[in-house]
Amino acid sequence: MAHQTEHTSHHPSFMQYVLIAIVLFVITIVEFLLIWDRLGIEDDLGASKIPLLVILSAIKFAIVIMFYMHLKFENRLFGTVFIAGLALSFLVGIALIGLFVGFEAKPRSYAEARAIPYEEHGGAGEETHPPVAAGPVALGVAAVADSLVFDAASLSAKSGSEVTVSFTNPSTVNSHNFVVVESGTKDAVATDGTTAGPTNDWVPPGDPRVIANTVLIGPGESTEMTFTAPAPGTYQFVCTFPGHNFTMFGDFAVN
Amino acid sequence: MAHAVEHEYTTTGLNHRKMLMWVFLGSDCLFFGSLIATYMVYRGQSLVGPYPVDIIDIPVTTISTFVLLMSSFAMVQALAATQADNRRAIVGWLMATAVLGAIFIGFQVVEFNTFKNEGLTLGGNLFGATFFTLTGFHGAHVTLGVIWLVALAILGAKGRLGPNTALDVELCGLYWHFVDIVWIVIFTLLYLIGGFDAGPTALPGG
Repeated sequence: MAHQTEHTSHHPSFMQYVLIAIVLFVITIVEFLLIWDRLGIEDDLGASKIPLLVILSAIKFAIVIMFYMHLKFENRLFGTVFIAGLALSFLVGIALIGLFVGFEAKPRSYAEARAIPYEEHGGAGEETHPPVAAGPVALGVAAVADSLVFDAASLSAKSGSEVTVSFTNPSTVNSHNFVVVESGTKDAVATDGTTAGPTNDWVPPGDPRVIANTVLIGPGESTEMTFTAPAPGTYQFVCTFPGHNFTMFGDFAVN
Repeated sequence: MAHAVEHEYTTTGLNHRKMLMWVFLGSDCLFFGSLIATYMVYRGQSLVGPYPVDIIDIPVTTISTFVLLMSSFAMVQALAATQADNRRAIVGWLMATAVLGAIFIGFQVVEFNTFKNEGLTLGGNLFGATFFTLTGFHGAHVTLGVIWLVALAILGAKGRLGPNTALDVELCGLYWHFVDIVWIVIFTLLYLIGGFDAGPTALPGG
């Protein structure tokens, strides 16, 4: 019992605990403000914010183990046992990172060789090419002779990549365009495009469902357009020339 | 029971149960250290999305971090109440700690669910694999802590916690604070620093 009363008297008082809690809160708020993009501090700090954040969290860590866990007031052996485990875990971490970075084990090239394209996880896609980095992507599409179809039923690109579409119209009579729209909206966009009329290339201007579109090209002409692939998901491409949308469309997969 | 243990002779002169808890926490450092190191090794190596920058919500997680910090404060009050033999305060603070812990778990459940709907899975990419393994094991620790706290609160309500059995509450507190400091590290590394990681090409030198 004597041991216990003595032990208790060493613990911080209620007000000290409140003070410690406030300090922990303030540090967390500072950490948040450091990286909050609306404040813009993180732009000025650049890479130096990382050691700053690590130091701040190390301070929080130390405060909790010293005061809340009473390590400051306890027998040193408890602290030694715990710090030994902590030090060992740091060594394990350094060893692991060293193993993968220092000895060129190249986890990324290992993963690259075995990567499954994103769309396959959902079982929807059929292409098995390894995903490329979000670099520029060139896609070629054409209408098929005088038929009201595209020569591709599906196209794909990686999200964020710069996609250049070369669109050719080999028809001798028909005019076409190539419009990328949100999934399931091809007919609705085409209907509104009809209202917008030929002066707008049969595309409703400023429509949020339209991701990108080429101009309307006549028989034998070709055109090109460049846009940034949107967020991952399935989109559609369609010709919005009145009536063409029912047969002249396909899926545009962004992965 | 615990009273009798206090007077046991030990080779170190220190309480066996408390020593066991500190040894366990030391070894748990290794457990989380390995998982954190694994996350850092694979950081920025995901070949397909979603990437942290697409889905990590730092403001919301800052709130859940506050909740966990607050629960640590409630925990020390529970121990102080036990030492002061104030039964109502013991049960109140223990339950407050448990509820705050449960709120933290609630945040995590919602977060995991949102991430799953955004396409992040355990097997989808390296970010998903390392993120879910690390934060999932942390969430399991919190869940275990909540169960422990509720059990102690029930004992407290029956009047079986007091100065003589303060060690029972103190050991739970040590575990609880440890879970808190692990989250301090995870929050800094995975959210504040790693939360802005994009795909492989966006990383310098990646």
